[in-house]
Amino acid sequence: MSDTITAADIESRAEGSTASPEQGDSARQASSIEMQGLHKRFGRDTVALDGVDLTIEPGEFFTLLGPSGCGKTTLLRILAGLEEADDGRLAIGGKDITEVPPHKRSVNTVFQSYALFPHLSVRENLAFGLKMRGLPPEEREARVAKIAEFIKLGDLVDRPVDQLSGGQRQRIALARALVNEPDVLLLDEPLSALDAGLRSQLQVELLRVQKRLGMTFVFVTHDQQEAMVMSDRIAVLNGGVIQQVGPPREVYEHPVNAFVARFMGHDNLYPVTARHGARLTTPLGELTAEGAGEGGLLLIRPETLDLLPGEVAGDNHLPAVVSERLYRGSHAEYRLEIGSSTLQATLNNRGRHLPEVGERVTVSVAPEDLVTLSE
Amino acid sequence: MRKRTLKRSLAGFWWFTLAFLYLPLAVVVLFSFNASNSAATFTGISLRWYGRLMGNEEILSAFANSMILAITSSVIALGIGCLIGYGMYRHRHRKLGWLIVLIYLPIVLPDIVFGISEMAFFVQIHRLTGLLQPGLVTMIIAHVTFQIPFVALIVYSRFVGLDPTLFEAAKDLYASPVKRVVHFMLPTIKPALISAFFLSFTLSVDDFVISFFTAGPESATLPIYIWGAIKKGVSPEINAIATLMIGAVAIAAIISLVFSRRRQA
Amino acid sequence: MAYTGVTPSARSRGMVREARHLLFTVAPGATWIVIFLVLPSAYLMAVAFMSNGPYGLPEMPLSLESFRRLAGFGFLGWSPGNLYTLLRSLWQTVVSTGLVVVIAYPIAYYISTCRARWRPIMLLLVVVPSWTNQVIRTFGWMNLLAPATPLSELAEALGLINANMGLYPSNFAVTLGLVYNFLPFMVLPLYAAFEKLDAAQVEAAQDLFASPVRAFRHAVFPQTLPGLLAGIVLVAIPAFGMYVIPELLGGGKGMMLGNLVANQFAGGANWPLGAAGAILMLIATFIGLFAMRRIGKRLGGGEEVVI
Repeated sequence: MSDTITAADIESRAEGSTASPEQGDSARQASSIEMQGLHKRFGRDTVALDGVDLTIEPGEFFTLLGPSGCGKTTLLRILAGLEEADDGRLAIGGKDITEVPPHKRSVNTVFQSYALFPHLSVRENLAFGLKMRGLPPEEREARVAKIAEFIKLGDLVDRPVDQLSGGQRQRIALARALVNEPDVLLLDEPLSALDAGLRSQLQVELLRVQKRLGMTFVFVTHDQQEAMVMSDRIAVLNGGVIQQVGPPREVYEHPVNAFVARFMGHDNLYPVTARHGARLTTPLGELTAEGAGEGGLLLIRPETLDLLPGEVAGDNHLPAVVSERLYRGSHAEYRLEIGSSTLQATLNNRGRHLPEVGERVTVSVAPEDLVTLSE
Repeated sequence: MRKRTLKRSLAGFWWFTLAFLYLPLAVVVLFSFNASNSAATFTGISLRWYGRLMGNEEILSAFANSMILAITSSVIALGIGCLIGYGMYRHRHRKLGWLIVLIYLPIVLPDIVFGISEMAFFVQIHRLTGLLQPGLVTMIIAHVTFQIPFVALIVYSRFVGLDPTLFEAAKDLYASPVKRVVHFMLPTIKPALISAFFLSFTLSVDDFVISFFTAGPESATLPIYIWGAIKKGVSPEINAIATLMIGAVAIAAIISLVFSRRRQA
Repeated sequence: MAYTGVTPSARSRGMVREARHLLFTVAPGATWIVIFLVLPSAYLMAVAFMSNGPYGLPEMPLSLESFRRLAGFGFLGWSPGNLYTLLRSLWQTVVSTGLVVVIAYPIAYYISTCRARWRPIMLLLVVVPSWTNQVIRTFGWMNLLAPATPLSELAEALGLINANMGLYPSNFAVTLGLVYNFLPFMVLPLYAAFEKLDAAQVEAAQDLFASPVRAFRHAVFPQTLPGLLAGIVLVAIPAFGMYVIPELLGGGKGMMLGNLVANQFAGGANWPLGAAGAILMLIATFIGLFAMRRIGKRLGGGEEVVI
């Protein structure tokens, strides 16, 4: 059961996929990934993964999200074969590869540091994987030329590696992985070393590449914004355990616990002190929540709030004072004081009065926008 | 004002020190062209001592011995030292204190203790087993022993300077263990291997004490031959052969200078 | 949720593989050094505790005779010869190391103040003479210091030496040879220290202490101390065991410990006595290394002195 992918397999796959990357999505079959009970410890006490069960669908852009030390990178390295799980099974495209060494896996990685070989030119870097798999020189050249066009590398291929900028290195690293047409592409925080502008530009480019190739991408990041922009689905990890798996909107709007909520950027979390049907007692006051679940923690998303000038009586209306306002052009962020609690609100600026700091306002929230979750 | 005086006197001291460093070598070079065989007075330019060198079988064989010794020992030390350097790098997170002690031992041991230990050991092994008769083989063994640490440390520091993910990238890009060595590790550390080889070579050619104690009657190297000639009473031929060796060092110095310039550029 | 049931197979397999790798890479070199250096040194140490046989070769029974001989007790009662040799070795080491420091310190400083493009060339100029063989370098000094050479005649005219004696062989010639030989070993680490010197700290010191002497003592000197200590280790240890220079430049009255040891394995032929001398040298070496490490750790501001 061990050597499921052989060199011959790789050869035949390589020969079978001579179609250009643009047509590749129809020609190739994207692969699924199944993980069962993956455990990993470092040394005696450090638990990196504590039983991970996860299935990634073929062609998915899947993100592993979590703070540093949560196990996301360890999981990615186990997928790549760079780390061996202590226990559990791993299969790609239905084949068990738990014990297959990294160089025999049809999986490629874009490393955080890019890891371009300093002793090779860009062209040789791109062809490295193909050469190691024993492809003839003509075919290597053809495939390198094709990928260089696909990623729009232009004249970068003829430059020495040490004269490339961060963004250029990132794209070469991506091309060097993609040129092998792997079953799965792994990306280990590939954009974290870049500045904000370049970063969002490359996010879009990466997404476009993935959609056109239809390849399964597994992306690791600690940035929830990036995760939401890029992913079909997100898995949030903490302490080596998967907390929640779902599409970005589900994870953002319905986090299953306080950790996921806080990690997705939510600050408006309040304990529910008493409950009568849909009526919840919280430090903010009494609120009606419809279908908010049984959790002991109330989540109010800042963008679901509305601010009415002055004191307006009504259900789910709370009197508040503006203590801070951050004007951001298209929208503004407010910090509101309600009794001894604070509340964050984000409001669109279109055609509305912008409450000043110190102004008395009424916060209004629809019952169906309130969610409760467990601690 | 005071600063400038300081700077100027420092410059004077610098030139004085340079003279101190090069005077003995200059004298050797000068007298190698001396027409008379006096070691004290220069009487005119002549190449007769160089002519004598060419006909001196002993010197030619000493030169051959030096080269065989330096090249063979450097090649062996390169192989063994390279492996140990990589092992030290790969397992740097383990407790390898014993290995560090072992590696530094040949460096810190005084030459003379190194030399006589080897000699006493080889003599006894030879008495007991008939193996390891003093000669080129015992000299090569001794030289490899003091070259290994330098090769290992150079290779180790080259590996430490690399991005560790490069090793993983090579694995990830389908390179089998053997291909990783051939297509990634060796090409990457090539500059370190070259400088380790040249350092080993230089150390070998430069060594006198350890060679002297491990040599046999037939395996005199150039330094050993020169030593013997000095002990017997100075012959002007020594100046000539010494000048050739100084010339070789000067060429090596220029090459290394050009190399470092090019690397900077 | 604590996870306890680790299947040991994958972990232990990885550990075995790593251990095999360590063995494969490190064993050849380690074995080589153990067989061809550790064993010979151990044998040499054992020889020191044996008796002297007919051809100078060691014999049973074990005895401390060689150490008695080393301290000067011979067939003819006690003689101070060996003790003089020991003291001379120490003296030469201290004097030459001191002189090397005095010369190297301003040279290293001067190089560090020159333009960046000249510095590698200047360093190379300092180092190149040490690339030539030690025997040749020492031979050069023999030429320079011989009787009837300009230097000897100058010394004669100044009344420093007797007529027609020449400046060598003498203890002075040995000191000179040692200083010449070891100067580069001191310049390099000192230069490295000066190059790293924190200029801001020096300027602050000049502000604070006004006098350049005090600025040097409080700001410059402490920062160059690690380099200085490294240089002292690199000079003093091999100087104490020096063989070639005293042999060629010293004559009978310039003998050092290295010559005493070497002679027991060549002409004098008393291996146990030579081995006892070698042990002394090793002890001095390790005391030197240990002392420098200790002092370096205390004064070096956290930076370890690398040998």
